[in-house]
Amino acid sequence: MKAMFATRAEAITGLIVALAVIMASVAVEAWGTRILVSLLSQAVIVSFLAFAIGFLARTSNLVSFGHAAPFGLGAYGTAWVLSNGSPLPPELGLLLVVPAVAGVFFLVGLVVSRLEGIAFGMLTLALGQGFFVAASKFRGLTGGADGRIIDLPRRLFGLRADVVQSPYGMFVIGLAILALVYLALRAFEATHTGRLAAAIRENDERVRFLGYRSRALKAAVFALSAAIAALGGVLYALYQGFVSPEILHWSYSGSALIMSILGGTSLLWGPIAGAFAFFFLRQELSALTTHWLALVGATLVVVTVAWPSGLSGGIAALLSRLGLRTRQGAAP
Amino acid sequence: MLINALNGFVYGSLLFVLSSGLVLIYGLRRVVNFSHGALYMLGAYIGYAVAVRFGFLAGVVVAALALGLLGVVLDLVIFRQLSARNPLVTVIVTFGVMLILEDFVRTVWGTQNYTIDPPAVLSGVVQIAGAPFPVYRLFIVAASAAMAAGLGSWLRWGRTGLFVRAASFDAKVAAMCGVRTSVIGPMVVGLGAAFAGVSGIIAAPFLSLNPSMGSEILVLCFVVSVVGGLGSFSGAFLSAMLLGQVQAFGTVYTPELASLLPFLLMSLMLVFRPQGIAGMKVSS
Amino acid sequence: MTVRFRCVDIGKRYGGLAALQGINLELEAGIVHGLIGPNGAGKSTFIDVVSGRSRGSGQVFLDGRDITRMPPSERRRLGVSRSFQRTSIFLGLTIREQLYLAAHGAGGGHTGELVEMLGLGSVLDERAEDVSYGQQRLVDLALALVGNPVVLLLDEPAAGLSVAESQVLASHLEDIAARWNVAVLLVEHDMDVVFRICHVLTVLASGKWLVSGPPAQLRNDPAVIRAYFGGTA
Repeated sequence: MKAMFATRAEAITGLIVALAVIMASVAVEAWGTRILVSLLSQAVIVSFLAFAIGFLARTSNLVSFGHAAPFGLGAYGTAWVLSNGSPLPPELGLLLVVPAVAGVFFLVGLVVSRLEGIAFGMLTLALGQGFFVAASKFRGLTGGADGRIIDLPRRLFGLRADVVQSPYGMFVIGLAILALVYLALRAFEATHTGRLAAAIRENDERVRFLGYRSRALKAAVFALSAAIAALGGVLYALYQGFVSPEILHWSYSGSALIMSILGGTSLLWGPIAGAFAFFFLRQELSALTTHWLALVGATLVVVTVAWPSGLSGGIAALLSRLGLRTRQGAAP
Repeated sequence: MLINALNGFVYGSLLFVLSSGLVLIYGLRRVVNFSHGALYMLGAYIGYAVAVRFGFLAGVVVAALALGLLGVVLDLVIFRQLSARNPLVTVIVTFGVMLILEDFVRTVWGTQNYTIDPPAVLSGVVQIAGAPFPVYRLFIVAASAAMAAGLGSWLRWGRTGLFVRAASFDAKVAAMCGVRTSVIGPMVVGLGAAFAGVSGIIAAPFLSLNPSMGSEILVLCFVVSVVGGLGSFSGAFLSAMLLGQVQAFGTVYTPELASLLPFLLMSLMLVFRPQGIAGMKVSS
Repeated sequence: MTVRFRCVDIGKRYGGLAALQGINLELEAGIVHGLIGPNGAGKSTFIDVVSGRSRGSGQVFLDGRDITRMPPSERRRLGVSRSFQRTSIFLGLTIREQLYLAAHGAGGGHTGELVEMLGLGSVLDERAEDVSYGQQRLVDLALALVGNPVVLLLDEPAAGLSVAESQVLASHLEDIAARWNVAVLLVEHDMDVVFRICHVLTVLASGKWLVSGPPAQLRNDPAVIRAYFGGTA
């Protein structure tokens, strides 16, 4: 917490973000149509996944093709802790889902942290598909391909269930949590561990020759990214009241990857912007055609080739031209 | 028991031919082609469409040519243009290509399953150790072996094959020695894609057609590559055979876990020997 | 004179080629030990093997303790530090940040004196990618020097520096070895630096030990001259 307000710039950023959240909530409440609010609430949830992918890419220079796995695990975990089979009271169970998923992916991270770029991508794709197959097969646990309905208790953390499941309610809740996660990650990047993560990204070998064991830290960054995705999964499950294997499929991972590329990783919040932009783009496009998946693929190709630094790259360039220094992530 | 092993052998041969295409493309372009599974699927569907009208052989030929051509286009339009950049960029682009191809297949052929019968001359069964075994599956093994042998000898003894090996080792130096890398590139990627397409149509009577066949087999290809060691043909051979046996025996003895066994194998390999069987480094 | 670092029968093979064979070397506290030889003699390979960067044969002892199997991170924490021939620093971080990380990794250490000695005070808050090459070399060296190491393995620290910069660097190294009582191994091509600050030299040729002795004596050694200027390959 101390690092968060280490500089005045950080404090100002925190204020700006808080203000933005409040203003957005008020504006949407006043002028938002039903459709718009519904769209926004879904976009907020998916932006957790895009944010997680972007954070991993930015901090460790690793691109995950299977990040739907922690997202889906968060969602299925929520389904389980809220079911009759869970030994824990629902609110406690809910609080434990994200740490549990993070723990699993820390262990996974210890194994995969040895891998570089392409091999890491291959592995995450295969891993993601593995979870998809498992979720589709193990009907007893997951409801199989048909999915599973979630019974929300009437109140959760003092909020009425119907508020959590209303588009506007989820929009505000999701946005608020997203803002908190953003600020926390900003703080993290300024800490010693955050700088160490950046150093590992730049020159893993030298970090080891400076006396650090980089493996545990790489795994921790991976786990942190998984936690963010899982958080999105939890919100997804609460909002939809339903989980199914499609949120574990690689096309889901792929869409989120595209959002984070579209938004770019030059600025920390890039992927979030990319998620909102993509969501609206997709809405417009699927009104026009059923081939939106192909268009997603085409968008990915075009953006990656022509505009690799994405939206935030453009903004970061603009800011630096204005003389403001931004904390840069990994270059594409 | 023997039948299981034979089935595993069949499946392994298919995996090997498909993975060879992946290895070929990786060797030259240093890119893992994430659309490889989609190429396999496209070959199967195109081959099917031609085969129902003009016969199986025509289907195979057209699949090979069509996919070969697509491979050439992919190289000229994408791989070559992006060769100066981080290979990961090209990988992401091939992922996008995969999405486009999957949508194309879904649009043209729909989402239902298709089956195709093996050609009359290859249908029927032979008796092996007292149990019937489809002739067609033996054909798959034979065809895969022929393709692998052909590729191997071409690379080993052919003049162009030598150029491909040289360019795969060090593209710049090869170019300085007069190897026309601008021609080799499309040729190799076209060949790799053609291999994918042909293995698709050859597999069709054995595995049937459905829109998720591309992604399923791609993941297995990745497992083969990681376990075998990226960039190595012999490693791919051994791990493809191993995986084929794992699948065959797994579906019989542990049907629930069978589809997860490849991932288990890959994870174990990564923990104990990240460079794969052949020892090619994919890790730091 | 205490022997801090002992290398026994160090070898390295690449397939059929022996890049290093049977090299024995000892480093004493406060002594700058130069390792020289013509190109391809195996000097950098030697440092890579004894610092744990690449696998070779033989054994390495720190104060009598066998550290041959130890990973580089652990060696560093015991005080065995190295610099790199090709500058290996963190371009995106500021000088201050990377020195801080180095200090923390080494388990403590005051960077102030080091910064002043190497003249990096004015660029502390610059990103490493924004400073001159000469300063980047100094950062590479500084990262190795932080935390008062016991043994210092330096791989051509003067590479890429101007004559003036090399001279300044040489006097710093001389200073450090004496004041901090560090055992220094110096691989260098710059003969001015070598003959100025090294107390003892070892000459390698074609991966094998040729001769060791005080610099003045080796200067005119016919075997050394032949190794550098030709003769039997």
